[in-house]
Amino acid sequence: MLSKADNELLTQSGPGTPMGELMRRFWMPALLSEELPERDGPPKKIRILGEDLLAFRDSNGKVGIVEPHCPHRGANLYYGRNEECGIRCSFHGWKFDVEGNCVDLPTSPPESTYKDTIKLNAYPVREWADMIWVYMGPREKMPELPQLELGLVPASSRYVTKKWQDCNWVQSVEGALDTAHFSFLHAVLAKDQEKARAALAKAAIADQATPDDRIRWIHNDPRPKFTVLGHDAGLLIGAARKTDGSDLYWRISQFLMPNHAYTPTAFPGEIYYGQCWVPVDDRSCWIYTYCWQPDRPFSNAERMKFDSGFNVHAEVDDEYMPLRNLRNDYLIDRTVQKHDTFTGIEGVSEQDAAIQDSMGPIQDRTKEHLGPTDIGVVEFRKLLMSSARALKAGTAPKAASAAAHYAVRAGGAVAAPAKDLEAVMAERFGHVRGYVGQQYGLGD
Amino acid sequence: MLSRADNEFLTRSGPGTPMGDLMRRFWMPALLSEELPERDGPPKKIKILGEDLLAFRDSTGRVGIVEPHCPHRGANLYYGRNEECGIRCSFHGWKFDVEGNCVDLPTSPLESTYKDTIKLLSYPTREWAEMIWVYMGPREKMPELPQLELGLVPAAHRYVSKKWQDCNWVQSLEGAIDTAHFSFLHNVPSKDEKAKLDVFKKTSAIGAGSDVQDRVRWVMDDPRPRFSILGHDTGLVIGAARKTDSSDRYWRISQFLMPNHALVPVAFPGDVYHGQCWVPVDDVTCWIYTYSWIPDRPLSNAEREKYASGLSLHAEVDAEYMPVRNIRNDYLIDRKLQKTMSFTGITGVSEQDAAIQDSQGPIQDRTREHLGPTDIGIVEFRKLIMGAARALAAREPAATQASRGYAVRAGGWIAAEDKDLKTVMVERFGHQHGHVGGEYGFAD
Repeated sequence: MLSKADNELLTQSGPGTPMGELMRRFWMPALLSEELPERDGPPKKIRILGEDLLAFRDSNGKVGIVEPHCPHRGANLYYGRNEECGIRCSFHGWKFDVEGNCVDLPTSPPESTYKDTIKLNAYPVREWADMIWVYMGPREKMPELPQLELGLVPASSRYVTKKWQDCNWVQSVEGALDTAHFSFLHAVLAKDQEKARAALAKAAIADQATPDDRIRWIHNDPRPKFTVLGHDAGLLIGAARKTDGSDLYWRISQFLMPNHAYTPTAFPGEIYYGQCWVPVDDRSCWIYTYCWQPDRPFSNAERMKFDSGFNVHAEVDDEYMPLRNLRNDYLIDRTVQKHDTFTGIEGVSEQDAAIQDSMGPIQDRTKEHLGPTDIGVVEFRKLLMSSARALKAGTAPKAASAAAHYAVRAGGAVAAPAKDLEAVMAERFGHVRGYVGQQYGLGD
Repeated sequence: MLSRADNEFLTRSGPGTPMGDLMRRFWMPALLSEELPERDGPPKKIKILGEDLLAFRDSTGRVGIVEPHCPHRGANLYYGRNEECGIRCSFHGWKFDVEGNCVDLPTSPLESTYKDTIKLLSYPTREWAEMIWVYMGPREKMPELPQLELGLVPAAHRYVSKKWQDCNWVQSLEGAIDTAHFSFLHNVPSKDEKAKLDVFKKTSAIGAGSDVQDRVRWVMDDPRPRFSILGHDTGLVIGAARKTDSSDRYWRISQFLMPNHALVPVAFPGDVYHGQCWVPVDDVTCWIYTYSWIPDRPLSNAEREKYASGLSLHAEVDAEYMPVRNIRNDYLIDRKLQKTMSFTGITGVSEQDAAIQDSQGPIQDRTREHLGPTDIGIVEFRKLIMGAARALAAREPAATQASRGYAVRAGGWIAAEDKDLKTVMVERFGHQHGHVGGEYGFAD
C-alpha cells in the first residue's frame, strides 16, 4: 500500500516530476524503425513522457525528434515539407535539420544572420535493434545505449514490435514482474487435451512439441516463493514453485531500469522475451515487445506467429492498437470463460492488458492489499522511487552508467530444493545475475 | 428560483453531499431483474449516485452489489469469474461472496488467516417487483423496502422497464409532477378529432374509458389548472383541477414519494396505474425505472406489447435500455409533423418529456427560472426534499421510516367544484392520501 503522495511520485512522469526526471536520464524507444520507413517521408507525431514531439527521417536517413511547433509563429511542423535534409514549415518556409538548427529562414533578408539565433528544441536520437531511441535528459548526462542482448544478436535473430495500452505504465510493469498471476490470469480450464492446447496457443510456455510439465506445476502451485536480488542495472526476481518431485521449478524475470522487464519462461534453447514501457502520458503508454534467440535466426513461420499475436506480442492493427482492447471489452467471451480459460479473453498479452487497464487509468495504491507473492512488486517500487528521490537530491542513477550490465537473460530452471536463487542463476545462465555480456565482448 | 447554492444542494447526490446522504437512506432500484438473468452469468458494471459498482448473481440466485476493484491489486472484478457462490478475480484468484466476504485467497499460505481480514465493500440488496434494489446508506439505518402497490400485486398484474436519461434526475422528476405541461408538450394540435384521439389512445397519457375524448378536450382547453398539495408520511399528493363542460372539475392527481418516485395522474377506476422512479447515475445522467400495474386483473399480452413498444411513459428502448429517440439524434424530431399533428414533432410521450427535460441542460440552472401558480407542485417538492436533506445533515431525528405508507395510488376524477382535494381523494380512493394498504393487510 502506498500513500497518495507516493502513488503520485511513482506514476507521474511529465516534465519536472521526480519520476519524469529519472526516466529522462535513460534512452527510451520512441518509435519502431519501420514507422519512418523512407527518407524524406511523412513526419510522425509522437508523445513521450507527456511531451508532444515530431519525428522525421531526413534525406540522409538520419532521424530527428524535435519540438513540433515552428519557433516563428507556432505552426505545427507536422504539416511541413520533409526535404533536402530538413523539415520546412509550410507556413513561411522556415527550415530545420534533425538537430534543430535553423538552416533556412526565407522571410529574412538574404544578408540577415537572424537564423543563426533560432533553434528548435531537438533531442538526441539513435537507431538500434530496429527501434528509434531518444534521450530527453540533460545533454551532459547522456549515457550509452543500454546493451540489451536483443541488440547484440544479428537482426535476423530478433523480432520487435509495439502495442498501445490504456493505463499508467507502472501498473503494467508491475503486472509483468508479478509472475504469481500465471496460476490464475493465464490459466486454462479445459479438460480436453486438444482444447487446452488450443487455449494456450498464444502462450510461450505451450510453444513446445509435447505437453509440458511446467504448465501443470504453475497450475498446481499458486503460492510461489519469491526471492529478489539487486544488480547494477535492475532486479532479478525469482519465484519457486513445487514440482512433482522434491525439485523446485523456478521462473525468474528481470527488471531493468527504468522500464524494461524480461519474461521468466525460457529454458535453454527457447526464445527470450522482454518488454519496455514508454509513457505517452500518465494514463496511456506504448509497450515495445521484443524477443530474440541467441543461437539462430527466426524462421518466417515464427515471425508470422509473432505478427498474429503471441505471448507478449499483441495482435495489433496498422497503428499498433491491439484488436482486443478496452474499447471493445477485449472481446471477452463469457462462455469460453466458463469452460475453457480463466478470463474468456484471447491472448496472453490481451489478458494482461485487460486486467491492468481494469485497475483504472492510474491504480489507486492507497487501497491495495499486498501479500507474500507481491514482493517483486514491492522491491521494484522501492528501487524506482528511491532512485527518483536520490536524483532529486543530486545522485544520478547507477544504472544509467552501467550500459553493459543490461546484457542479461531471464528464464526458467528446475533445481534442487537446497539451491538459492544465486545458485540457480549460476546453474542456468553461468552467472549469478544472468550476465551474458562476455559473449559479445562487453567484458566480464 | 433558487440560489446557486440551493441549486447545487438540490441536484448533487455524490458521496458526502447532503442530498446524496438523504438518498442513501432509501432503497434504490439498481437494475431490472432481467439484467442479471442467470445464476453465475456475466457480472454487470453499474453506477449509482456517482459510485461505480459491480453487480452479479451467484450460484444460488442471490445478487451482490459490490465495489468493483479487488482489494489485492485493484483489478476490476468485472473481468472475473462468477462461479460457485462468489466472484473470483481473474488476476490472482481472490474470491468474494455477495456480501463482500473474502471466501478464497489462494496466493496466501493455506494456514494463513489473512483472508479473514480482507473485505470488499458490499451493499445490501433485495429483489422485489422485478427490480434489484440496493441500499447504500449506514447499515444500522436500513429501512424496509417501500411497499409500493406495484410490488404487492401479483407479478402478472405489473410491467416494469427502464430508460436512460441525459440530465440531472431532479429536473426530470419535476417534469413529472408538473401536470400543467400536458396542455402543451403532449398536445395534438390537429383539427381531425379522430386522429387526435388515436394518438392519445396509443400513448396512455389520458387513460381509457368512454369519456376519454372529453378528458383530452378538458386538458387542452384549460391550460391553467388550479393546484392543491397535501403532505403525508411518504411524500406529497399533488392535485390539479381543470374546468369541464359543466361546473364540475376534472382533477388530475399525482403522487410524489420520497425521495425519487412519482405516480402519474391519469387513471380512473379500472384504468392501469403508472409510476416512475429516478435513480441518479451521476449528477448529469439518470436511469428512470418506469412501471405500470393494475390491481384487479393480469395485464394482457397486448398491453405488455404496447408498453414494450414505447410511446407511453415507457420509452421505446434498445437492448441496453437506451431510448431509440434520444439527445444524440435530436429525438428524431420531425419538423413537418410539428407543424400539423404534434406540438413537438417528437414521437412518444416519454420522448417528449425527455427532450424537454434534457433541453434544460445537464443540470438546470434554477437561478434563471420564473415560476408561476402552476408550478407550486414543484415548489412543494423542493421544499420537502431540501428540508429533509437539511434535517438529516443537522442530525435531527429522522422521520419514521414509513415503508407501508408507500402503498398509495394516484389518478384522475371528476368532482363537484366545491370539493377540495382531500374530499376528492376520499371520493376517488377511499382515503385522503390515496392509501390502499388496507387491501394488502396493512393497518391504516
